[in-house]
Amino acid sequence: MEMKKSIKKRRIGVIFTLLSLCSMVLIFEYCKIEQRDSAIIAIEIIPIIIFIVSFILTFIKTGLWGFIHKPLKKLDEREIALTSKSLRYAYGIFTVVTLILLLSLAITYTQIDVVLVASLILFAHILPASYIAWTEKDI
Amino acid sequence: MESRKIYNRIAVLRKDKSLTRNELADKIGVNFQTIGYLEREEYNPSLDLAFRISEVFELPISLIFSIKPLMPLSQLLTKK
Repeated sequence: MEMKKSIKKRRIGVIFTLLSLCSMVLIFEYCKIEQRDSAIIAIEIIPIIIFIVSFILTFIKTGLWGFIHKPLKKLDEREIALTSKSLRYAYGIFTVVTLILLLSLAITYTQIDVVLVASLILFAHILPASYIAWTEKDI
Repeated sequence: MESRKIYNRIAVLRKDKSLTRNELADKIGVNFQTIGYLEREEYNPSLDLAFRISEVFELPISLIFSIKPLMPLSQLLTKK
């Protein structure tokens, strides 16, 4: 794990990544409701670019993505404790967000679409690394 | 249960043995960044890891780790 970025920069990166992911869903939903299919691709590109850039800078370049996907055998006891803690928090956050989302969709009789599901998959995958990026000090 | 802070002499002993963080990490089988966490007393090692550290420095665990702030080894020796 090579986390040389300062915690402030990493936190900004996490915010940008999650906000761009959220924007992707919101823009898609808005365009769907307003029936602006042709506008989707044009506007959707902006959060996608922000997402890719912030994801690369915050997770890939810092080595966090590689760290979170390391096999258990290659981690030492501190790293195992850290990944376990991050997964625990990620599970809690994901469960709450998903259940609230499902409840609100059920109340408003809104159909779940592929963009929302894909975003949730990405969200679930990013959360453990986001927790580490958010909490771990510089070393 | 919140664990107590465990103080240690790892940084002093490592420098005394002229070991780099990487070398010590290799000897005890952890990532070099974990050595940094241990030296800054931000992480309490398991008993197994504490034993491995004590084997490297050839000192008893009680001389390396303590639940009370540790005084310098030189001071400890003159006190005795």
